[in-house]
Parts: sequence; C-alpha cells; structure tokens
Amino acid sequence: MRLIRKAARLLVALLRELGDENAYRRHLAAHHRTHSREEWQKFSQERLRWKFVHPKCC
Amino acid sequence: MKRILGHTLWAAVSVAAAFALGSLALNRGEPINSLWLVVAAVCTYLIGFRFYAKFIAAKVMVLDNDRATPAERLRNGHDFEPTNKWILFGHHFAAIAGPGPLVGPVLAAQFGYLPGTLWIIIGAVLGGCVQDFIILFCSMRRDGKSLGQMAREEIGKVGGITALLTVLAIIIILLAVIALVVVNALKGSPWGTFTIAATMPIAVFMGLYLRYWRPGKVLEVSLIGFALVVLSIFGGQAVSQSATLAPIFTLSGVALALSVIIYGFFASALPVWLLLAPRDYLSTFVKLGVVFMLAVGIVLVRPQLELPAFSRFTDGTGPIFAGKIFPFCFITIACGAISGFHSLISSGTTPKMIGKEWHAWPVGYGSMALESFVAIMAMIAACALQPGVYFAVNSPAGVVGATHEAAVSTITAWGFPVTVQDMTTLAADVGEHDLFHRTGGAPSLALGMAHIFARTGGGRAILGFWYHFAIMFEALFILTIIDAGTRVGRFMLQDLLGHVWKPLGRTSWIPGVILTSAAIVLAWGYFLYQGVVDPLGGINSLWPLFGIANQLLAAVALCLATTVLVKMHGARYMWITCTPLAWLVTVTFTAGYQKIFSPVPRVGFLAQAAELSASGVADAATRALIFNARLDAVVCAVFLVLVATILVDSIRVWAGILRGTREARITETPFVLSRLRPEEI
Repeated sequence: MRLIRKAARLLVALLRELGDENAYRRHLAAHHRTHSREEWQKFSQERLRWKFVHPKCC
Repeated sequence: MKRILGHTLWAAVSVAAAFALGSLALNRGEPINSLWLVVAAVCTYLIGFRFYAKFIAAKVMVLDNDRATPAERLRNGHDFEPTNKWILFGHHFAAIAGPGPLVGPVLAAQFGYLPGTLWIIIGAVLGGCVQDFIILFCSMRRDGKSLGQMAREEIGKVGGITALLTVLAIIIILLAVIALVVVNALKGSPWGTFTIAATMPIAVFMGLYLRYWRPGKVLEVSLIGFALVVLSIFGGQAVSQSATLAPIFTLSGVALALSVIIYGFFASALPVWLLLAPRDYLSTFVKLGVVFMLAVGIVLVRPQLELPAFSRFTDGTGPIFAGKIFPFCFITIACGAISGFHSLISSGTTPKMIGKEWHAWPVGYGSMALESFVAIMAMIAACALQPGVYFAVNSPAGVVGATHEAAVSTITAWGFPVTVQDMTTLAADVGEHDLFHRTGGAPSLALGMAHIFARTGGGRAILGFWYHFAIMFEALFILTIIDAGTRVGRFMLQDLLGHVWKPLGRTSWIPGVILTSAAIVLAWGYFLYQGVVDPLGGINSLWPLFGIANQLLAAVALCLATTVLVKMHGARYMWITCTPLAWLVTVTFTAGYQKIFSPVPRVGFLAQAAELSASGVADAATRALIFNARLDAVVCAVFLVLVATILVDSIRVWAGILRGTREARITETPFVLSRLRPEEI
C-alpha cells in the first residue's frame, strides 16, 4: 500500500514537472513572491521563451 | 546470501533473453506470439543497463556523487534545478519520445518482424543508449552546454559550425517528413481532419484559460483539454456521417499539405502561450498515457505476429520504400535504436536538472531503453495486422496499382492474400471511406493499436473510436513538433543571418521574424509538397533522407563522445563509441551513396531523374519530379559532405592526441564538493 502511495506521489510530481507547475512553485519560492495572474504570466513568458528555443525530438 | 540471489536472478534474466532471442531468430513458418519480443527486449535492456551501462558509468565516466552537478552549482530555480531522478527520467523520456520510434518500425516491418526487432534491441543497447548517456555525461560535466558548443570546444570551429548546419538541415527534412505522415493519415478522412482541426481551437481555449482565468493550473486545463479532444473524436464521427459537413472536411493531400504549411507559419509567429505551449502540455500527457496504455494492451492481448520473420522484400523490392535490409532497415528505424536528435535533448534541458552524477545512469541510458521498447511495441502493432492489410494500407498507388482491384491482385500475388471486401469491411469498421494507399505508417499503426485496444474491451463496435484516438494521438504531437520545430529553425536561421545583417538576428524585429519564419516554412513545405505529389508516395524518398540525416547527426554526437573519451583515457575506451560510430558511418554512407547513385530508379535519385527524362514526357509535372529527384540527390550529398567534414576533423584531433602532438585539454568544469542533501532530491 505504501509503495502504491509512493508511486502515485511520484506520478503526480512527474506530471507537475512536465506541466511546469513545479518550476512555477520554485520560481515563487526563489523570488519570495506569491501567486497571482501577473506573476504566472511573467514566469510563463520567460519559461516558454527558454523552452521553445530547443528543438523537439523526432 | 543476497549476493547469490542477485547472481541467480541475473543468470535467469540472461537465460530468458537468450531463449527469447533464440526463439525469435529460429522460428520459421508459424505465427509467433508477441510476448517473445517483449521478453527478448526487456531482458536485453536490463542486462545492458545493469552491466554495460554500469561499466561505462564506473570505469569510463568515473561518475562521482560527491561532485556537484550544474543543477546544484548554478541552481536558479528555473532551468538549473536538482530534480528527483525518477521525475527526471520521465521528463527526459517525454522529451526524446516522438513519432520516430512509432513510424520507423511500422515502415521497416515490410522486411518482416525480425530484422527491425534485432536492430531496435541491439542498436539501442550498444548504440543509442550509449550515445544518449555519454552526451548527457559530457554536457553535465560542462555546465549543461549544447552539442554545438561542445563540438566547437572539443573538436574545433569547423566541427561546431558543421554541427549547427547539420541540425538546421535535419530540422527541415524532419518537419517535411512528419508533416507528410499527418497529411497521409488525414487524406480523405473527414473524421480525422475534423478531430485534428478541433485541437486548434481547444488549444487556444486552453491558452486563454491558463493565462487569464486559472493561471498556473496546467494539469487542470490539460484534463479539460483532453476531455474536449475526446469529445471532438465523437464529433468527428458525426461530421463524417453528415452529408453537409463531410465534404467540407474531406480534403485532398495537396489541400492538407497547404493547410499544414499555412498553419506552420502562423503557429511559429503567434505568441507561444496561445497555441504552442498548451498543446505541448496536452500532447506530452497524452503521449505518456497512450504509451502506457499500449504496453498494458500488448501484455493483456498478447497478439500473434502475422507478418513473417523475413518477408520477400529483403531483396530490396519493397513497396513501402525500395532498398535492401542493409543499409535501409538501419536508417528507416532511427529513433528506436539510435537517434542523433536525442543528443540535442541530452545536451539541452536534462543535464541542467541532474542532482547527482549517478542519476545520469538511469536517466541517460534507461530512458533510451524505454524509448526503444516503444519502438518494439510499434513493431508488434504493425506485425499483428494481417500482412495483406498491412501492405494494402502502406503501399503507394504507383507501386501496387491505382485501383483497388489492381492493388489486391498485386499484393495477393506477393503471397499476402487480401480482398477488396476485407479492406472495405475494415474501412467501415474504423469509420473511413478507404484504407488503400494510406502511406506514411500512421494509419497502419493506428489500425494495429486500435485492434489491440479494442480487444481489451469493447470489440469491433468501438474500433472506429480507437482508430481515430490513435490518429489524434499521432497527429497531436506531430503538429506540436512542426510548430515548435519551425520556431526553433527560425531562431537558428536568425542566428546565422544576424552575422550577415544585424537586424535579421533580432528575434523581436517583426519583419525579420516574418521573413525567417516564411523561409523555414517554405523550405520544409517544399519537401512536403514534393512528397505529396510523388507518385511513389513520398515516403520512399523522404523517409530515407530523414533517416540518413538523423543517423548522421548521431555520427556527429559519437564523434564528440569519442573525442572526450580519447582526451580522458587515450585509446583505451575508444571502442565504446567507435563501434556504433563505425557502424553508423558505414550504414549512412552506403545508404547515401545508393540513394544518389543506385541505377535502380526507385532507389537512386539520379536514376529516377534519368528515367523520367528518358520517358519523353515533358509536361510541367514531370519536369518538377525530375527537379525534385535531383534536389534530393543534392541534399543527400550535402549531408554526407557535412558529416565527412566533422569525421575527418575528429580523426585529426584523435590522431594528434594519441600521437602526443596535440594537447588533450579537457574542458570539464573543476571539481566542487556536493553539499546537496538526499532529501532535496
């Protein structure tokens, strides 16, 4: 049971990492800011600019 | 006791691998169960991972968990961030898994299941996984530098510029060929076309939702997006049955190609948050989900492989693409065995997120082994189809005949019986008007997947849903690669043109953005159009070109890896990267030479041009085909010259270091003691 719970936690963490939600949390923590629409937009703009200069794999 | 148990377990895995591989190789004449492929592949990956990769990690790379990684030293909470190894494993796998490992094996199945399967397993364990692992290691020890930067620093300026040009050229061919796969999958299919068209407003809705209504809720909006996409599959069924709407969404190959070209231009110029990013999130989640579903489906259904171990087309007369097993099987399957494109990912995001050096072992080697397993699943899905159906779907009209009767007669004469009635019934079951001549691999893969999914529950009644679900899954992430790739190609072109005229290099200068976006779209759009109007189906010429390009990029990555190993250990461990490098150079240069100079018109571009010239037909279409064949020959030659340049440059560097006439200067960042606590990752 503990193993299943651990696997589920890992899966959610992976999905949050893939969805940039973890990166956003880290961004808020690193800059001592709270969540807001403007903050997300600022983070997202920077994150996506960085993300989409790399080619995606075939 | 634990040690003995461990030895016994690994001995059992080795015996299982040997027995399964032996059964695959020696079985003739009877259908074989797909589980043999699964056992052979999984056990071989496990042995490669536990013994070969660990040897490379411990003895060659000398990985050290006390050494701080760039993620720790340069931690900024953004791109440099120590990440849990299993999360990073999933992240890296999601980044390297594209349409290549799905489509390549489906096309190579024309040789039978055995050649492709053996290449996928052996190529991955000794080549692809090693390449990904070593490039990841090199980048991790160099502050997460890119392949081009490392090539410039380790090999020299020529190597760096050649790597940049090779990547740009490959992106153009890659975008053309995957766009062709989508066009061929949607041609004449109102159901599929509606579903894919619907993903665009859905993505825009997701973009707006994420930016204005529920900022930061990516998983939430992706779930909503997925529900809407599934609804659009049902909507597509209604559209295909509507007398008014069906003709609107029934498009020819040329119309679809033009739509994709126009779409590519706008998608690359639009703000990323509006279309590209939300669809990228959605396609990543769908991709991982479908790969998992397919693995579960194969284990539950355990389909028989209906295609033989070797087909009659090993002689080079295959209808899907012409050419013998050597070298064409090895360039048709790239991503499932070894893919140069992975080296861009291994020197991109991943090295900046590794918390401890030993995490590179599962992330670099293990992720590629999993990708290789995806290729095995695609091979199973294709080979589980009736061979007659497989060839009827994948063979172009120019080879088997334009009419249904001619096609079934040709395919049946090859020894793969199929009737028009079989194909009509199958088309009706999956909600399509026609399944003949649907080249490109995507429709036959979708058929194979749909059969596996339907057999786990629902049966024939929901075959149509699963077929279009599979088409949606393939098209969704192919379109994401097209718009992201166009954008990246635009940045690279701006980077190059900025040296000629500075304003062109500015990514915020709108005329420059429009001009370079248009140049990239026109470049891949031209090859796409060429593929669509090609009477041999386009895949025959474009997929080998893409395979050659991709494997040549792998050769560039292995040149870099060898240079680093020579600088670290002299000639002692060169064989690790030189063995796959020698194989790839042999394969790609042979394939490239044959694609240019083979006297067989279906293989050689120049022979094809000569045959068309000699036919005496001088209309505009024929002149265009002649020009295209010659252009393909030139492109192929350019690829070979680019890689020969980097190869010669690398050999010069290795010889200098081994003779002692050149300094073996390693550009690794100096050792810094890691202070990262285990609970932080």
